Amino acid sequence: MFQVSNLMVFYENALAVNELSLEVAEGQMVGIIGSNSAGKTTLLNTLSGLILDIQLKERRKGGEHITVLGTITYQGRDISLMPAYVRAREGIVLCRERHPVFGDSTVMENLRIAGYLKNRAQIKRGIDLAMELFPALKALTRRKAGLMSGGEQQMLAIGMALMVEPKLLFLDEPLLGLSPAMQQKVMDAVKKALKMANTTIVIAEQFARPILPVIHKGYVIENGMLTMTGTGEELMANPEIKSAYFGI
Amino acid sequence: MLEGVLIYGFINSVLLVLVAMGFNLTFGISGVANFAYGALYIMAGFLCWGLLNSLGLPYWLAVAVSVAAIALLAGLLFRFVLLRVRGLVISEVIATFGVGLAILELFRYWGFIGFEYTLPVWLDASFDIGETVVDGQRLIMVAVGAGLTLFLWFFTRHSRIGRAFRGIAQDERTALTLGINADLTAAFAVAFGAGYAAMAALVILPLGTIAVNEGYNVLVNALAVCIVGGLGSTMGVIVAGFLIGYAQIFTATYGETHWMMIVSLAALLVILLVKPSGLFGKQKELEERI
Repeated sequence: MFQVSNLMVFYENALAVNELSLEVAEGQMVGIIGSNSAGKTTLLNTLSGLILDIQLKERRKGGEHITVLGTITYQGRDISLMPAYVRAREGIVLCRERHPVFGDSTVMENLRIAGYLKNRAQIKRGIDLAMELFPALKALTRRKAGLMSGGEQQMLAIGMALMVEPKLLFLDEPLLGLSPAMQQKVMDAVKKALKMANTTIVIAEQFARPILPVIHKGYVIENGMLTMTGTGEELMANPEIKSAYFGI
Repeated sequence: MLEGVLIYGFINSVLLVLVAMGFNLTFGISGVANFAYGALYIMAGFLCWGLLNSLGLPYWLAVAVSVAAIALLAGLLFRFVLLRVRGLVISEVIATFGVGLAILELFRYWGFIGFEYTLPVWLDASFDIGETVVDGQRLIMVAVGAGLTLFLWFFTRHSRIGRAFRGIAQDERTALTLGINADLTAAFAVAFGAGYAAMAALVILPLGTIAVNEGYNVLVNALAVCIVGGLGSTMGVIVAGFLIGYAQIFTATYGETHWMMIVSLAALLVILLVKPSGLFGKQKELEERI
């Protein structure tokens, strides 16, 4: 349903994503594994179209010159130049890194803002889904989002992304800064969301341990380049992955 | 005496709230700077005056056309000026302030000065409240102010676009990933705020003449009320409007009238020293805690 071919992203002359091609099939959970600065966030920003906005804003203030090459195809259409908010309407939704919530609004307001594209009934359904996936949010609906813990904010951020009823959901480092127990909770909810929300999920992470057992396919990237591809089990069995990500 | 001060203080407070509401909507709630606000306010007055006196339109139609035209004009201001510098707050402020300056000084240059530039009052009657006489226009202004405030409060909380305003003000990129067209929403915020300015102008200006200098005062008052109240908070605008409004009337009554101008600026300075996020500020509250 989603193909990327020969994607390259430059910040000035620095290459952030290098000749990267990948494919995501409907209903799958796909992992993108890589360490810090491997290019995961740049990759997801490009796939979700956010890079086009960043590029424009940088150009406006005379900042970094960003170049994007290659093609992104979604359901047979080339969407390389489609703005982020249009992609969201088409069902491609990114949940950015560092739990992006609207800090000054309450949890409930956050979910409602996220339901911008949806009608009243869909918003209600979305809120119910978020509460079912993350029961911890039930007690916090009137809490200001910016005052919650990182884990709570991450749960809310995923709930907000699901409000858009994505066909393809990108999660950028959803486990960043979370305790192992909270990581497990979030991963359980993501697994549940894959079925309940009937969506396809691409998850970028540096913590391979909780991710590899649940993904159908994984891409390992280093310095913006694809170094390895395989199913979750194949990657777990790989000695290089073992030493790099599991320390065995 | 005191009764009169209280009543006129109340009216002055509502006037400030009314003037600040549109600015609050654009700059406070949506995070888009529109410092041509005072110019648009005055322009609404002159436009309505022109429609009444040159084209001879009925008053209600002239008011409706002026409000719509000012909102549209602000939309164009966004499209052709603000959009180019969108995301750079200082540039947004400077660009819109420049446009406002140009509009106001053009009016002065064209000779739009004098006592003939007045709008007729909506209601030519006066009422006794206790022992104080209040004219009909001021009462209408209070009613319109209350109505517009209630509408704004409801709109920003319970409408789709109102929620989008809050979204783009807090995190534009996250808003984009949720399918919110940030530029269109911002354009709408500017147009909506300008429409509010025009409505405020058309109920307030019949109380006096349409004077170019008033455009600067309106901007300063709106800015002071919004910052003292806390950017983005409708409740804050109301409370700050009443604080500054009563302070101005008390100053004029028990002090000297010319000190009245300083009250809003003094309030602005004090609040920036004591609590920069404002009385009910939401925007900067988190950062101040950390």
